[in-house]
Amino acid sequence: MIDFHTHPLLVREMFEREPDLLRIARDVFYIRNIPQPLETFLLELDVSGLDRAVLLPIDASTTRGCQIYSNELIAELCEMSDRFIGFASVDPHKESAVDDLEHAVKDLKLRGLKLSPPTQEFYPNDAEPSGRGPSGRGLAYPIYEKAQSLGIPIVFHAGMSWEPRARAKYGQPIYLEDVACDFPELNIVIAHFGWPWVLETVMLALKYPNVYIDTAALYFDDPWDFLAFVMTRQVPLSAIEKSLRHKIVFGSNYPRVEIKNMVKAVKGLGLSDGCLKLIFEGNARKLLGEVAG
Amino acid sequence: MKIKLEKLEVQTRRDKELIDITPEVERVVRESGVREGVVNILTMHTSSGIIVTEGLPCLEMDVLNRLEALAPDEGDYYHNRYLDIDGRLGFNAGAHLKSVLGGYSAFFPIEDERIVKGSRQRIYFAEYDGPLARTYVVQVLGTANPPRQRPPQ
Repeated sequence: MIDFHTHPLLVREMFEREPDLLRIARDVFYIRNIPQPLETFLLELDVSGLDRAVLLPIDASTTRGCQIYSNELIAELCEMSDRFIGFASVDPHKESAVDDLEHAVKDLKLRGLKLSPPTQEFYPNDAEPSGRGPSGRGLAYPIYEKAQSLGIPIVFHAGMSWEPRARAKYGQPIYLEDVACDFPELNIVIAHFGWPWVLETVMLALKYPNVYIDTAALYFDDPWDFLAFVMTRQVPLSAIEKSLRHKIVFGSNYPRVEIKNMVKAVKGLGLSDGCLKLIFEGNARKLLGEVAG
Repeated sequence: MKIKLEKLEVQTRRDKELIDITPEVERVVRESGVREGVVNILTMHTSSGIIVTEGLPCLEMDVLNRLEALAPDEGDYYHNRYLDIDGRLGFNAGAHLKSVLGGYSAFFPIEDERIVKGSRQRIYFAEYDGPLARTYVVQVLGTANPPRQRPPQ
């Protein structure tokens, strides 16, 4: 069982390697819990009944002057436990983005890409104002081409972000339609159910074979009430069970939410055991290339 | 008057559990050099507690189960909202309420360098929202041991 959406932001051991991480966690990503030893992360997986977790960084060098975890640190963490699956992040505004991605995958052995348009301030389908990027195509299109050729999935932050400076306008799922359409061999995961644009998110996942959704959504109430709202009322549970069972992966957004609580919330929705197995494992393994699609 | 304070970390391993910290408290008292006085034990977290009860696994389960019945994790709590100070939602009011019900501290007298407690009393760190690395405080206050007198030659 796999958690497809975690941020290793409060791992105490990593603050010794990168002292600025604490400021970045508190002021940029805006998570203010007490740092914990790595063991707590692994115990959290145990308590939740999960085997592995995808670790997501965000390269915000241009817009925030920092990396919310570098690819190198993610690779280091993956060496500390075989339960971690490291993803890379690259800065779409940097000339080196494509090379950085290739290095992260080929040399650091990272297995996917995380992009956060609200943090990195770009529209996933649009050229930047300076005009960089192929005419009429998006700033990040060369990154998508590289990801597609490397055979790795991209997790896009979508919808609302709790980061103080992150604007939701960059996270509207509809902008991902061009990416899904123009790169049919590139698997993309729309994170956080794209909330509040849940129906847009579902529309994309229903239509495009290469579009997936993760469950890492919590914006009010508690995990069980919020996910019940999203996955049984904003979208009928029958649609998840019948039409989206192969398109949803479990994600917690740890440490903004404890993994155990999100697991409990998803398991409590009333989905069949077969559907839960796909959400917690089968779909993630397919995205990671561990099983045939 | 002598005062000694130690902050101790405990790694909890479950969502909810009671961890017997009596040996650690006794060690701090022993090493404090206090002969007559008191020892205070306090948790530093509002979703955990300090509990004193008999050291039996059945009672440990009963304590946690009863607290869960009184203050369940899932409830219609006002705390279920975004907390700007944390950058995340609260929604663990059940753990906070268990801490209120079970208490956050304990104290015992010290006599002749030893904690005065019933033979069946054990001191527990109570985790209500684990697993987490937690900190609790043991503070010993009292009169110090008199200097050892040399035996007559």
